[in-house]
Parts: sequence; C-alpha cells; structure tokens
Amino acid sequence: MTAAPGAAERTRPDLPPVEVEHVSVRFGAITALSDVSFTVEPGTIHAIIGPNGAGKSTMFNVLSGVYKAAEGQVRFGDARLDQMRPFQIAGIGVARAFQNIALSGTQSVAENLMLGRHHLTKAGFIAAGLRLPRATREGKRHGERVAEIAEFLELGDKLHTPVGVLSYGDQKRVEVARALCTEPRLLLLDEPVAGMNAEETSRMAEAILEIRSALGISVVLVEHDMGMVMSLADRVTVLDFGRRIADGTPAEVQADPEVIRAYLGSGDDISPSETADAAAPGDHPSETPGMHS
Amino acid sequence: MSETTAPPAQGPARNVDRPAVAAAPRRSWLRPLLLVVALVVMLALPLYVEEFWLRTGFAVFGAIVGAIGLNLLVGTTGQLSLAHAFFLAVGAISYVFVSGESGGIGLADLSGLGWPPLIGMIAGVLLAGLAGLIFSPIAARLRGIYLGVASLGLVFIGQHVLNSWTSVTGGFNGRSAPEFSLFGFTFGNTDPDLFVLGVPFREAERLWYLGLVLALAAYLFARNLLRSRPGRALQTLRDSEVAASVMGVNVQGYKARVFLVSSMYAGLAGVMYALSIGSVAPESFGLEVSILYLAMIVLGGLGSVGGAALGALFVTALPLIFQRYADVVPLVGGPGEGGLAAGEAARYLFGLAIILVVLFQPSGLAGLAARFRRKGRDPGGVRPTGHSSAATSSSTSNVPSDRPAQGSTT
Repeated sequence: MTAAPGAAERTRPDLPPVEVEHVSVRFGAITALSDVSFTVEPGTIHAIIGPNGAGKSTMFNVLSGVYKAAEGQVRFGDARLDQMRPFQIAGIGVARAFQNIALSGTQSVAENLMLGRHHLTKAGFIAAGLRLPRATREGKRHGERVAEIAEFLELGDKLHTPVGVLSYGDQKRVEVARALCTEPRLLLLDEPVAGMNAEETSRMAEAILEIRSALGISVVLVEHDMGMVMSLADRVTVLDFGRRIADGTPAEVQADPEVIRAYLGSGDDISPSETADAAAPGDHPSETPGMHS
Repeated sequence: MSETTAPPAQGPARNVDRPAVAAAPRRSWLRPLLLVVALVVMLALPLYVEEFWLRTGFAVFGAIVGAIGLNLLVGTTGQLSLAHAFFLAVGAISYVFVSGESGGIGLADLSGLGWPPLIGMIAGVLLAGLAGLIFSPIAARLRGIYLGVASLGLVFIGQHVLNSWTSVTGGFNGRSAPEFSLFGFTFGNTDPDLFVLGVPFREAERLWYLGLVLALAAYLFARNLLRSRPGRALQTLRDSEVAASVMGVNVQGYKARVFLVSSMYAGLAGVMYALSIGSVAPESFGLEVSILYLAMIVLGGLGSVGGAALGALFVTALPLIFQRYADVVPLVGGPGEGGLAAGEAARYLFGLAIILVVLFQPSGLAGLAARFRRKGRDPGGVRPTGHSSAATSSSTSNVPSDRPAQGSTT
C-alpha cells in the first residue's frame, strides 16, 4: 500500500486503508447518503466537508457502525465495518469523538477517559465487584496511560473534576482524549473544534497533527472550519445532499467548479482565516446550502 | 502545545515522573474514622438495644440489599424495572422450598428439600439470578420506561404462581421460613444458648449480625463495581447508549448482565425478607413492593450505593416505628383504634418526601449528605452543572431517561 502525500513519517505498518464503496443510507423515504465512495489512505488526515445536512455525520455513523448502510461496503483491512456492531468496530481500533459531546457529566475526566480503555481491559462484574488483584492492577496500569493522554490534551490538572463542570472547550478536548484512549488506528473526529475560540482551535489543530505524526494513524475529520480543513487535510471529500460531489487534495477541491457552485453557492471564498460558525450542540440538520448555518 | 509531547505509541505505560497528575483528590481522614465509629456502634448495638430495634434493623438490612441491587439497574444504568418484587419472591420461595421440610400444615401439603439453610440462601440468590437471566434478553433490548412496562408482567405472573403452586409456596396463606443456621450454629433463640457480656444473644441479636454482614458485602460489591470498568460502562450507557457502544461497550451484553446482578441482589433480599418475617406469603411480593423499592432509591439518590441504603432505611423503618409508637405519633392510631394506620401514615410521608426530593434535591438523601460534606470543606462547592449538552444535563440529575441516541445526524 502506498502512503499518500503528507502521510506521517512512520505510518503504522499494520494500518490498512479505509475503503468506502457505493454506500447508501436511507431513513424511510429520505436518502441521507447516496452512492458515496472514497478511500482514506493509511496515515492521512482525510476531511469530509459539506453544507449542513450533506450527510457528513451520517457517514460517521456508518463508519462507526451506529447506522447500517442500505447498500455498499465499508472495508478497513479485512474487516467489513458495515457488517459489524459499534463495540466490535471499537475493538479493532476505530475511535470516534462526538460532535454533540456525549460524555458522562457526573463522572470525572479520568473516569470518562478510562471508558476509552474498555476494549483493552478485561475486568468483569465479578473481578471488579470483589476487587480482585488483577482488576486493581489493570485499572492502575491503564490509569497511568490515561493520565499521559490527558496531559497531552492539556487536561492533566482536571483529571478528577466531574466533566459536567468543565468549560465547553475542555469538554471537547475530553471527547478527543477519550477517543485517543482507545489506542485507535483510525480516529474519527466529528467537528472537534466546533464552538471553540480561535486560540483553542489552533491548539486543537496542532494536537491533531501531532497525533497523526506521533502515532502514525489515519484521521477522518468532519469540520466546518474551512481554514482548519484546508491546512490540515491531506485529502478532502465533499458531500452535498448525500452525494459525493468532489474528492481530492484541498487545492483541487477548492478549485472544483461543482464545489464552488454547490457548497459555496453565495460566492463565499474559502479563505484560511475563515471560521465558520459551526453547528452548536443540538443543532438540527437543515438543507440550506452554504457554509453559514 | 509545543512543550507537551505527543502520546507515545501504544504499549505499556512508561514510567514518567508525572507530578500531581495521577494524584487522587485530597482525602480527608474524617471519613474513614466516621466509618469505623459507625461500624463499632453497629457491632455493639445488640448489647444495648431492645429486640424491636434489632428486628427492624434486620428488615432494613434486607431492604438495603434489595435497594442496592435495584439502584444498579435503575439509577446507574437507567433501566426501569418494576419486577423487583418478583425476584424477591423467587429468592424467598427458593429458600423456604430448598431448606424447608416437607409436611402438611392444615390443608396445604407442602414439599421441601430440607437442605441446610446456607444452601437454601445460595439457591435463593442463584435461582433469582436464573430468573433474571431468562428475562435478560428482553431487558437487553429495551430501555428505560419500556423495560419498566415489560417487567410489570413478571409481578403478575409471580402473584399467580405464588397463589397456585401450593405445594411449594404454601398458596394464599404462604408458608413459614426455616430458621437460618450456619454450620450448626442456628440463628434462633437457643441451640446454642449464647450470652455476650451478660446479654442473652437470641434470634434477633444473631440475625442482626447476619444482616449486617450481608448488607455490608452487598454494599462493598456494588461500590467496587461502580468504581471500576463495568461501572463506568454502565454509567456511560445510561447517559448515551451510542457513545458507550462506539467506545467499545457491548450495550446489550451489559444491560443483560446488570439485570442479572440486580435480580441476584433481589434474590438475597428475598431470602432475608423471609428470615425477617419468618414466613412468606403472596401479598408480600405484590406490585406495591416494587414501588416501595423504587421509592427507596429515588429518595436515597439514583445511582448512589449509599443513597440506596439510606432510602431503604427510611422506607423500611418508618412504618415499623410508626406502628410501635402509634400512641405518641400524632394522627397515627394503633390497630383497631381511630386515626391513620401506621402503614398508611408512612406512605403519605413517602409520597410527600418523594415530591420534595424530586423538586428540591434530585440526587436524593445521598446528594444531601454530599452537599453537607462539601459545605464543611469548601464553601464554593464543586457541583456538576450540565450547562453545555443534553448528555450532561440529563446525567447530573441522575434521572434515567429514554432520550433518543446521541449520535448526530447532521
């Protein structure tokens, strides 16, 4: 397998591409995705962009097994993601950070992150309830790794704080940290900087680059912030009304007349400084084209 | 972020000097001290207290076990169950059948295995677990209130079986529960006669210790569970099933398992109930018992093990105390007198307490206790406030919800 341009210096050797082939998803009469194909090359940052309601998060839900594709295949090496259940997909190293923060507010940061270790740990009801030595050891060992990852995302001093009291930006970082805690080979980030300020956004962008280069994993990114997409992504897939309208490098996509027409309709320019007012949590899909919701 | 290093590649954690990061939150020495004092008081109580309080205590211990089990299911995992009374019944009946003797009492022709009571107790727990296991495929596929409705059916099935399977259950009149004994030591009034510091240790005193040990074990098991891997998975699936499954939690498997554990807790509580009353009858396992258990965990605090214990104490002890002090408590009359019956009076009080808790203290008695603890430590008080997302706002109140999945469909 050939490494795509811009891939990490040392992409993990066991890292296969993600091949999405002719995927369609329907909800009753509504077609959320129609015949979408793209390939995430190993070790790349692959962005999926498109106006609200284009099907970006639906695509993520297919990749993580939450939605079943009506047609098509999703392959990750030998694994058929479209035929697996979400927890099985997590088990083969696919992690996801949610757009609408889906953390447990009453639990501490450390506890939320430890959930990321779930598929790497074994302690069951009996071992945990009786506090068997192996359960305690396991918890301690993984707790150390969790602390490292928290430190990396600047959450080190908040490990024992309940997530519910953290700022919005901190909660978004906990989301990403929790996904990282699963030791993923493929990281799905659903609008990781939505609602963050410029400072937080640039730190998150740096973190994503570091994750990719240090761990050598593939990252799939759904993002509204065009500046971030264009500066981070090696490859961009553009969706509109559930169809793939373009797929290429950021430069190619920016020049694509179809993208400009469908996605930027009103004549907005894709400038790196632009910060789209990204969808707020609980935002509902609307079928209005254009970058500003 | 330039000064921070990227997370090292997968593998065993490195031994890095990490000041303060892994340090647990500051722990006060006051808490363990209070626990030790409470334990000593509990252990010494039979020396000073009369039989009524010890019998009430044993009933409370039994209820604590059952409430902790229900709270694991309802409070921690967000699955509503109205079938708790059914599992209590399975536990209680298993005990009286396995350890009871065959023989006829009046019209009923009872059968029993006559095995040692310890075996009967274990059988009660296991058979309740088995009943839970049989129902768990349904429990795994339903969530929240839908499971509550589905589980309702079990209570009615239970009532029917209790009334009609006379040879095992004793039918409408019930049957008596055999005395508990452990390797030849009976938890009865004699055999052997026992005096501690000149105080005769009879059935009530002995059962008090049995209850204390069982309740403590149930408490510790549940607390350990919640603080570790399965507990985190359960709490997360309460807040968002999608998030839990995407993070690698087999949601159906965990729902089935927590239902199993909860029914085993109920089984033990059922055995303790049979020992406490000395007999079992169908009316002891009706729907209102399930409701009372729900009242315990709502009052005590959903999702809190200690809260379940507090709620069980409140709900179980209050009617008994009203009954005993009917002449002192205003408006309450003894049996056959004017005024409210003790049970009714207690129920009015629960109703009022539940309304107050839901309105003013959704985290229950446990939350109230935590609030006072915090006041003593820092006046500001860190309190989770779900300010940013639906996931956190639902979880701070700890109320199980059947909100649709969190996955966005944008």
